[in-house]
Amino acid sequence: MRPRPPAMRTKRRYVLARILPSGVELDQKQVYLSVIEAVTSLLGDAAAGLAQPAVVFCEGGYVVVRCRRGTEKDIAVALATVTAVADERIALRTVATSGTIHALRRRMKPVRQLSGDGEVKIGETYFAVYRYPRQKVDLVEKGIKHQKSLFFTEADLEER
Amino acid sequence: MKITDAGLHPYPAGDSTVARMALEAAELGFDSAVVIGGAAHRPPGIEVLQGAVISAASVKEVLKRVRDPAVRRADLVYVDAGEIAFNRAIVSIKEVNVVRSIHATRRNAFDHVAARTAAERDVAVNISMAPIIHLRGTKRQRALQRYADILSLQRRYGFPLTISSDARSILGQRSVRETRGLCALFGMTGAEVTEALSSVGRILEPHRPVKVVE
Repeated sequence: MRPRPPAMRTKRRYVLARILPSGVELDQKQVYLSVIEAVTSLLGDAAAGLAQPAVVFCEGGYVVVRCRRGTEKDIAVALATVTAVADERIALRTVATSGTIHALRRRMKPVRQLSGDGEVKIGETYFAVYRYPRQKVDLVEKGIKHQKSLFFTEADLEER
Repeated sequence: MKITDAGLHPYPAGDSTVARMALEAAELGFDSAVVIGGAAHRPPGIEVLQGAVISAASVKEVLKRVRDPAVRRADLVYVDAGEIAFNRAIVSIKEVNVVRSIHATRRNAFDHVAARTAAERDVAVNISMAPIIHLRGTKRQRALQRYADILSLQRRYGFPLTISSDARSILGQRSVRETRGLCALFGMTGAEVTEALSSVGRILEPHRPVKVVE
C-alpha cells in the first residue's frame, strides 16, 4: 500500500510533560492508560476520539504525548488532571508543545540526583533521602510497597 | 499585581513542607501563596501569607471563631460555605475575607442576595482546582456547574474571586497556565483568571480614598 502524500496526512502535535516526583520509573503502557482515562473523563469519548492521544515515549522523567493538531490545548488541560499511574501518585507538568519530537528533545533537561543520600527517621518511620538541585529533598518511606513520600527542603531537614 | 495561589495545605496536613511548596509555586509562576494551617515561618523566595479556615455549622459559631487569636493573626480568613441562609449571613461579617468550598454546597446555596452583599463588602468566593483535578464523573460535573454559576453571578455583581489549588502536596500544585486551562472548562476567560489570581492582594489592601496627613 502506498503511503498517503504528506499534504493528505493528519497533522500532529506533540506535548512534552515532566513527571513528578523526580526519579519515579513508570511503564509507558500504564502512563498511556492514565492519560486516556484522564482525557476521556474530562473531554468525553467524542473529543478523545478526535484528539487521538497517544504516549510516544516515556523516559528520563519526561513523557511525550501525541495528539491531532488543534487539540493540544485540551490534551494539556487533561494532562493536568492525571494524578496517578498504576497506584503511583504522580503529576504531569506540561513543558512545551511542538510539531516535532526533535524540538521537544531539546527541551528535555535531565533530572540529576545529587550525592549525599542517606536515611532519616521521622516519627517512627525511616525514610530514604534523595537530594535534587535547588535544595529539594524527597523522602521515600523504606519498605516494599505503598511507600509514603514526603517533600522537604534541605532547611526543613536540618531543622529536624 | 501579584499572582497568588489562595490555598495550600502543607505538612503535617499534607506531605510537603511550606518551604518546598513555596519553591514549587515560584517555579509554577506564582508570586505569593496563602498557606492554611502551616508553620508560622515564612520561607524565602515567594511571599507566603497565613490563612485560617473556619468550618462552622452556625453563624453564631463563626462569630465566636473569628475572635479566636489564631484567626485574628491570619492574613486571610476563610469560611466554608453552607446553606443559603448561612452564606447570606457570613458574607456580611466584617472579619470574613473569603467564602470557600462552594463546590460542595447545594445548588443556589450562594445566590444573588449573597453575591450582592459579597460585592458590597469585598468578600471573595474561592474557586478550588482540587475538585476539577481529583474528582471524576458526576461529582466533577457538579463542581463545574457550581463554578459556572458563581462565574455568572460574579459577572453580574462584581464580587472578587480567588483561585486556589488546595494542594496538600507538590503533586497537587498546578502552574498558572494549567490553572487557566482548567478554569476555561467552566467558561472563565484568561483575563478573568488573571484578575482572580491577583485578587488576594486587592482584598488585603483595598482601594481607599487618599487621606491627607498634615
